[in-house]
Parts: sequence; structure tokens; C-alpha cells
Amino acid sequence: MGQNISITKPLINSIDELFGFIDMNENKNLSFHHHLRNGDGVINYVLQHYITKGITGLNLYPSSIFPAYTSILTLLKNQQINNITTNYCNGSVATYISENGLPGTFTMQTHGGRARSIQEGLSKIDIAFIAAPYVNIYGDAIGYDGKNCFGSMGYAVVDSEYAKITVLVTDTIVDEPISNPEILGKNVDYILKVDSIGDNSGIVSGTTEITKNPIGVKIAKNTSRLLHELGLIKNGFSFQSGAGGVSLRVTKDVKEIMKEQHIKASFFSGGITKYHVDMLEEGLVDELFDVQCFDLEAAHSLKRNKNHHAISASTYANPTNPAQVIKDLDVVILGATEIDLNFNVNVTTDSHQTIIGGSGGHSDTASEAKVSVIVSPLIKGRLCVIKERVTTITTLGKNVDCLVTERGIAINPLRQDLIEKLKDSKLKICTIEELLEKAYHYTNKPKNMIKREQIIGEIEDRTHDIIDYLYQK
Amino acid sequence: MSRSYLFIPGNTPNMIQNLDVFESDAVIIDFEDSVMSYDKDAARILIKNFLQKFHEQVGNIYIRINDVENSNFESDVNDTKDLHIAGYVLPKASVEAVNTLYKICNGLDIIPIIESPLALLESQKIAASKGVVGLLFGAEDFTKEMGIERTLEAKELLYPRSHIAVVCKAYNIEAIDTPYTAKDDETGLEQDAIAAKQLGFTAKALIHPNQVDAINRIFAPSPEEILQAKRIIKKSEESQKGAFSLDGKMIDLPIIEKAKKVLEKAQKYGL
Amino acid sequence: MKVTAGSLESSDCFITISKSDTLVIDIESVVFEQFGDDILKVISDTLNSHKITKLHVLCQDKGALDYTVKSRLETAIKRMGENHE
Repeated sequence: MGQNISITKPLINSIDELFGFIDMNENKNLSFHHHLRNGDGVINYVLQHYITKGITGLNLYPSSIFPAYTSILTLLKNQQINNITTNYCNGSVATYISENGLPGTFTMQTHGGRARSIQEGLSKIDIAFIAAPYVNIYGDAIGYDGKNCFGSMGYAVVDSEYAKITVLVTDTIVDEPISNPEILGKNVDYILKVDSIGDNSGIVSGTTEITKNPIGVKIAKNTSRLLHELGLIKNGFSFQSGAGGVSLRVTKDVKEIMKEQHIKASFFSGGITKYHVDMLEEGLVDELFDVQCFDLEAAHSLKRNKNHHAISASTYANPTNPAQVIKDLDVVILGATEIDLNFNVNVTTDSHQTIIGGSGGHSDTASEAKVSVIVSPLIKGRLCVIKERVTTITTLGKNVDCLVTERGIAINPLRQDLIEKLKDSKLKICTIEELLEKAYHYTNKPKNMIKREQIIGEIEDRTHDIIDYLYQK
Repeated sequence: MSRSYLFIPGNTPNMIQNLDVFESDAVIIDFEDSVMSYDKDAARILIKNFLQKFHEQVGNIYIRINDVENSNFESDVNDTKDLHIAGYVLPKASVEAVNTLYKICNGLDIIPIIESPLALLESQKIAASKGVVGLLFGAEDFTKEMGIERTLEAKELLYPRSHIAVVCKAYNIEAIDTPYTAKDDETGLEQDAIAAKQLGFTAKALIHPNQVDAINRIFAPSPEEILQAKRIIKKSEESQKGAFSLDGKMIDLPIIEKAKKVLEKAQKYGL
Repeated sequence: MKVTAGSLESSDCFITISKSDTLVIDIESVVFEQFGDDILKVISDTLNSHKITKLHVLCQDKGALDYTVKSRLETAIKRMGENHE
């Protein structure tokens, strides 16, 4: 990688000033990243200007939408938005779209699929507004320094490379060069200086703690036993677990097995937490490939640990990228709101058809990992996680291998190799139909109330295939 | 013969309907301390309806009833004795209390809790009482009555534990150790359980489902014990003699009996 | 006079009964769409088996299974001293 010629970038001090340079009416496809999660201040700051100016016909490409992004709701109510393409959507915007739909199309992609669409020009970004915690005057940026550091800037990298106009929004500008920047100055057009890009404590969500709930603990234990019996926990294995309480408990149990048997992993990928960092620093894993930090300990680790790498969403999960990290992934642990008899998984809508989430990297990692494991309580309240047909398909059943619950483990019949390996297992292996029967014995069979009348959105897999539709609730 | 006795609060549906999930060998549904006095009736009705509907799911169930002096005692027994349960765990036990329970409990198993100095002194008679299949040590109330502090190191429990273990062995009943109360301290739990096993306890009660695995592991025969027992039985069958030597050590009838017990346990626990 | 039983914890329900000239059953449930009919049936069956034809029953359900709904209602009835069995 040669040294780029460093040119200082135009430094803008207010959003009004910025739109002295950019024509708002000519550039209506706007992208944002969600690394600050519910602590983001940039999306509302920028979109407030669009609300004030009354610009209509906007197309938004935020990598995710969190409850704090209320400016999007205002724009929706004002009929200023045409299309939204995103990977995850939760909160009042999600509820509004579930009830009303959009004038145009609501498209839900995957993290890898979003990167791919932008690269292939299917998603045409006019302006990428990138919240950047630490920027120099040449437009280089990193996410793991500065007063609002949030760690990896993985989701924003492709935007910076392919957007017509790239605007870094920052509260920390320095004169010094930055070594190994995540966002390269050559891709940046403007630097917009603001008082604050948000509150980085907001990157921690409620679930980023190891669960102590006995049912969760039981599920995690069943999972680590399953991985062990399948011979997947071995020297050089790779693993992704995300930040859910049960997944983190699986990580803890896997760690115990690794320590006991002197096993070292090659890499952990995806969203990274302090627990993954601890394992790196204890020498239990060689490298972390980090597309998103789920806590500030992870963000700080990026600065200090040379084997903790910030990677872009494309390097993480773009199926057309030869360097894609997850193609070497052995095991991924994933959650489910619902799973059906064909192993299709839903993490996009609840059983009332309200949008509550989305794929993120769910479908990407399930597709690529050698073994994908769904962990979930069989019965939540009175609802069984298994349905005859999920409300919404987020991840296709052909990519889902195992379901682990507190009352048993079901293996996808497509994976006869795994079933064969487990034929003498003491674990409670059963069919997914048997698990469903077990649950109904307690709950009774629920009445099906899914309405499939008015389409309000589509689920686009990383292959670009539309694998399901969202329906008005 | 159980390794673990898991306490489950008697009026909490979300724990009750999962009581078979945690893999403890026995479950003690609690009507005593974990149920508020105004909700004792609710717990009895809840458990009755639960066990009538789901009894086939669950195996070894005991109910910790309220003590004989408590106004709920009789209802606790009368409302549950026809259900599919193994028996009762009786708090504040005495010889008299055990006899009172025995008269009304239809011959179900009784596990008295030894939780006072007086009960410890008469534990031999309690162990010999009709219906009693094991003694459970209640260290929390015991130390309170002694006016001493209960520590995690548990040196103050050495005497009562030893006493109870010996009594149980003498009367060939289960010796069930007191729960370990620091529920997040896994290392402490293991040390505590190993210490109890070493004194002669055959099982441990527990208050949190997350403790089940450690208890089951510690109170099960180890792979080494199982292997040795297999060798002893094999040699005894081959030699047809009451006593013989193995690895230079004398093996006689008590050791052979012990080996049989180890294998019996191993088979029961699927080891 | 109102009599209550149960709780608003997950997997439980809170039953409130009071005297009434008619039979009124109100159900508020987090799983009403899926299990509203089941809950109504359990309540009706339980009242029938106690030969109760006039009562106001409010069931605030947090995902209780049938045995729990039945238990909480039976507890409330017992507490009201209206067991007509």
C-alpha cells in the first residue's frame, strides 16, 4: 500500500455551509452507518436539515435504524421519504413502517449484501454521511480513537469508496497523519465539524452481558456440548458468537473447554465484545476480525492489540469479495425470534408482524459458516419459537444447521453428516417436529393470525434474491 | 439415590414448568421460605394442577412443606399426598415432628431437615424413624441457632456435617448436604461439594439451577472409580473367592460391595 | 368485594374476581391473538366445574399456561369463599 498524496479536505463548520457546496435536490440518496447504535447523533443532526428544508423524494440507505433515529420517523410522517434500504430496523420507525409501509420500497438486506449492492452499483449513494470519531485534516479516519470512539468503522467503508460525495462528520480533528486509517482521505470530499457526533456509551445494548438466566445457561451448555461432540472445538478453529446473552455464555463455555484441552482458535469474527478481547489477550485466539464493536472495551482494544483488526463489511461478508472473512468460518452461533419446520429463521419481525430487527449478518454467516447453530428457548412466555412457517424469512432454512433449545436439539435433515456424528450422543437429539410437539404439550397450538395481504417490503438475501416479503400488519 | 436436590419456589410458574429442564436428579418444590404466607394456598393449588397435568414429564419430586407448628402444615400434606411425588422434605425436624408427618403422609418418603442443635443431637433417632429415607442438613438455620456466623470456608460446619454423615451411613439412608448460597461462585461451590462428599455425604441440595451440573459431576463416581470397580467385579467373578488381591492390595467383601454400588450409580447416571 | 390471585410476572397471570349479576369474563393477554380462546375456555371450564354462573372475572395474562390460569382462578374462588362444589 503506497502512501497517498495528502491533500487537506474542505473543513465545513455547519450543515448550512455544507449545502452551500452540495445541491440537496440533486442528491437524494443518503447513506449512514449505525456504529454508534442508539447513541448516534449524526443521523438526526443531518436529517433535521432535510426536515427543515422540506426536501421530498429521499432515499435512505442507513446500515441499520435504531430507536433513537427519530428524524426518520418525522420524514416518514411528512411524506419526504420514498425508499429505505437497510439491514436492521427497530423502534418507532420500524413500527411506523410495519403499519403504513412506504411510498416506494422498503428493502431489508444483509451486511454482506449491502456492501455488495453498493459495490455493484445497485445501491447508488449520492452522499455518505459518516460519523467519524477521529479524523485528520487530510480526511483519513479511524473509529477507535477520539472522545466518541466506537471501534471498527466497518459498515461505512464501502459507502466512503462508492458514494458520489463522502462527508465525514466529526468532533475530533487532528493535524497528524493516521497510520492504517479505516476511511481513506482519498475517498473523502468534506469534513463537517460538529460539537458532538453522539454518545458512545450508546453502543452497548442491553443484551451484551453473559446470561445467568438458568434456561439460557442450559441452552448454552447444550450448545457447547454439541460443538464439542461434533469435534468442532479443535486447534485452529474459527468462531463467531455475536453479543446475545446466550451466545456469550456459549463463548464462555467454549472457552472453558479450550482451556481444559489446550486448544487455540484461529479467529473470531463479526461483532466483538470485551469477552472476545479477553480471549485474545489470554492467547486463546490468534486474531479478531471486527466489523463492529459492541462495547467500549472492544473499541479500546483495537488501538492496543495489533491482532485485533477492524474490517469492512465487504471484507467481512460480501460473497463476491475473495477476501471475505466468514468463508473460513467454522461455527456461528445465532439467535432466532422464530424458526420453522424447514429451519427458516426469522429475526426481522415479531409474531404480530411488527418489524423488530433484521438480518444484519445473520444470513451472511449462516450461509458461509460450516456449521450454523441457532440458540433459543423453546418456549418464551407461552409462545413456541418453532412455527410451521415463520412470519418472515430472514435466513433460508437450507443455510441453518442446528437448533439448540433447553428441551432438545434439532439438526437440519439436510445435514446427515452431522446427524451421523451424533448418533451415539447423550444429548437430546430429536427432529424439529418432535420439539414442536413437546412445546405444544405445554402451550397448546397457537391460532395462526398472520395476514399476507398488503406487501410493505422485501427481504433481499446476499445473493440479491428476494426470499420473502414484509406484509402490513 | 440422587446426587442433586434442586429447590424450586412453589408459587413461580415459570420455574415450576421448567423443573425438568435443569437435569437435577431430584427436585424439591418449596412451600416454606420462598412462598409468602398469604400465598401458601396459591402454591398448593398451582402445584396440584401442575402435577396432575404434567406428572409424566417429571421424576423424583419432593415437596418442602411448612413445619408441623405452622398452620399450613396439614393442608400442605393433605392437598398433595395423592399426587405423583416421592415424598416430603420436613423443616425444623424432630422425632415428634417426623412421626406426626408419617401418620398422615400415606407412606411417602420423608427427608427431615436437621437445622437446630437439638435436631442434630437427636438425628440418630430421627434417622431411625419410620418413613425417613435421608437427612438434609440445613446450615443456614443451624448456624443462626448456634449464634455463629456461617462462612464460605465452612469450618464451623465440620462437626454437624460429620455427625450427620456418620448417622446416615449408620442407618443406610441418603446424606444430603446443605445448599451453597453464593450462587455465582462456581469454584467455591465445587470446593464445598467436594468437602461434603469427602465427609460421606451422598448428595447436595441446591438453590440455583446453574449449580446442578457441578453437583452431579462431583457426586457421581469418577471415571477412575468406575474403571477400578469394573476391575474388582471382574476379578471377583473370575476368582470365585471372598477375598483376593488386586494390584498388591487385599480386596474383600465390603470393597466388592462398594464396587457394585459404584457401578450401580454409574449405570443410573449414564456414565 | 374484589379478590385477587396470581401475579404479573412472566408465565403467570393476575386474576381479579368480584361479584356480579351476570357472568363477565375480561381477558387481557400478551398472547391474546394466539391463545385468547384457550384462556377463555379454561376460565369457563373452571367456573363450570365450580358451578359458578354469575361473576366478574378479570384475567391479566403474561403468557401463563392453562394450568396456571386454572390455578389462579381456583385460588381466587377459594379466597372468595364461593366454592359451590
